[in-house]
Amino acid sequence: MNWSWIPAHGSEIWAYAKDSALLGITPALLGLVISLPLGIVAARWRWFNAPVLGVVSVLYAIPSIALFFALIPALGLTDTNVIVALTLFSLCVIFPNVVAGLHAVPDSVRQSATAMGYGALRRLAMVELPLAVPVIIGGLRVAVVSSISLTSVSQLIGVYSLSYYLIDGYQRQFPTEIYVALVLIIVLAVACDLVLVGVRRVLTPWMARS
Amino acid sequence: MITFERVTKRYQDGTVAVDALDLEIPAGKTVVLVGPSGCGKTTSLRMINRLVEPTEGRILLDGQDVRAEDPARLRRGIGYVIQQTGLFPHRTVQDNIATVPLLNGWRRPKARARARELLELVGLDKALARRYPYQLSGGQQQRVGVARALAADPPVLLMDEPFSAVDPLVRASLQDQLITLQTQLHKTVVLVTHDIEEAIKVGDLIALYRPQGRLAQFGTPERLLGAPADDYVAGFVGFDRGIRRLTFFPAAGLELSAGPVLGADATVAKAQATGEPWILIVDDGQPRGWVPQARLASLSGDTPLDQLLADGIGHTFPVRGGSLRAALDAAVISPAGQAIGVDEDGRVVGVATFDQLRAAIQAADRAADQADEAAAAADLATHRSADEPGARR
Repeated sequence: MNWSWIPAHGSEIWAYAKDSALLGITPALLGLVISLPLGIVAARWRWFNAPVLGVVSVLYAIPSIALFFALIPALGLTDTNVIVALTLFSLCVIFPNVVAGLHAVPDSVRQSATAMGYGALRRLAMVELPLAVPVIIGGLRVAVVSSISLTSVSQLIGVYSLSYYLIDGYQRQFPTEIYVALVLIIVLAVACDLVLVGVRRVLTPWMARS
Repeated sequence: MITFERVTKRYQDGTVAVDALDLEIPAGKTVVLVGPSGCGKTTSLRMINRLVEPTEGRILLDGQDVRAEDPARLRRGIGYVIQQTGLFPHRTVQDNIATVPLLNGWRRPKARARARELLELVGLDKALARRYPYQLSGGQQQRVGVARALAADPPVLLMDEPFSAVDPLVRASLQDQLITLQTQLHKTVVLVTHDIEEAIKVGDLIALYRPQGRLAQFGTPERLLGAPADDYVAGFVGFDRGIRRLTFFPAAGLELSAGPVLGADATVAKAQATGEPWILIVDDGQPRGWVPQARLASLSGDTPLDQLLADGIGHTFPVRGGSLRAALDAAVISPAGQAIGVDEDGRVVGVATFDQLRAAIQAADRAADQADEAAAAADLATHRSADEPGARR
């Protein structure tokens, strides 16, 4: 372990850490934006659920490196390539959670909302989605962490992030880089997860604290 | 007033939930729909606010077909309470209660002020306003449900098994509260229950359903207990209906005698002179206890009665406001076989024997029969029988 290497490369490490964060968080957020309408439709019309779930599951089964390569003709060796691929992967954990979150709204609550004079859209926005928040955020947490971990593979198509140090450290037989990258990737994943837990707490003051 | 006109609900698999139902629910009354599970009572209720649409027939609310109005708008004018409360877990108590006023476009401060008023009306502490539903007991949640249903002051209140999920003590207090609320608010309440006791307790009128969505009898609780339309109704209201309907006969008509009643300062000789088999000793008007004549025989005539060891009185019944059922129970439990009637201050007014009770029950029966005949005559005159239409079909 060469401690002096760290301060000497401080700004470079910081830049790669930001790249990792961007590549990890953006796909999960895009995945949420895509999953919300799909999930709402699938929760309402159940016949829509199975085909969408099938497609997102098949996408998830594709090895990440294969998907990165497959997107090269369209998107090149770019951040966009990685973000698109990871977004497609994130659908597999976020979409089912949107559906499950909406299905978890108790029938009695939905029924009394209707009986109180909510129209379908208003009920969705003001009763069902707020109640689905904990389950949806659960999916988001898995998506962010798995995206951050998958960014290490994106190194292979030349999209740099903290994982650059993993490859570089290995090739140069310089373990300090590997340790630094490993620790920072874990810290980043844990930090993102904690932020999402915090967001959920703020959005759900109505949940019993266990 | 809510009118069902030959309303049928048939599901796609052919199941008939409600079968050609004719029912008139008068304004300002509590009408209980009661029957075994699957009899169509809940379906009937939900057709009123269009959570379920009838297959045939129509439902009129104050003369207007409920299907003439936009469902969401219709529902904001009809309170709805369900067994599982259906409270919104993500909203505070006050915002739950304020739901319909907010939907109607009230500003939040005004709606919340209204919510806090309602909290008091249903007997809850205003301090609960900012709690979330999970922080309340089952009984409190149910009260919030009632408050929420009343928030926009709808003329009609639909209640689907509202008190079935709470323990018997809480249930009794919720039922009492509904009765009290009704004396102030005079809503048209339609309440569904499978519990005939609850129906008899809270209902002005009871619609008793048979399986498959047919009406067995529609009438007052007294009528169901006193003149069940058939064996099904008699069986449903229970084997002790004869005694239970005495609840509806006031004790005021009961003849009381003062013969056996003596003050504590009276003597044994005076007690023997009454010729009564049992003497009721009273002290400053309050009943002390019963003493049988046999116990007096060995005592000297000038012994004051307060020196004697008396038997307990069981319990008394209030002459004003009490029922013949309470009087009969007091007589059954009394060692002397006599019911002690008391006034508002618990002072003895007089006692009644079984013979006197029997006479009072028979008199009340005759009066009820005459009232029924008068009602039946009125029904014939209007060609619209509000009483037991199902039984005649």
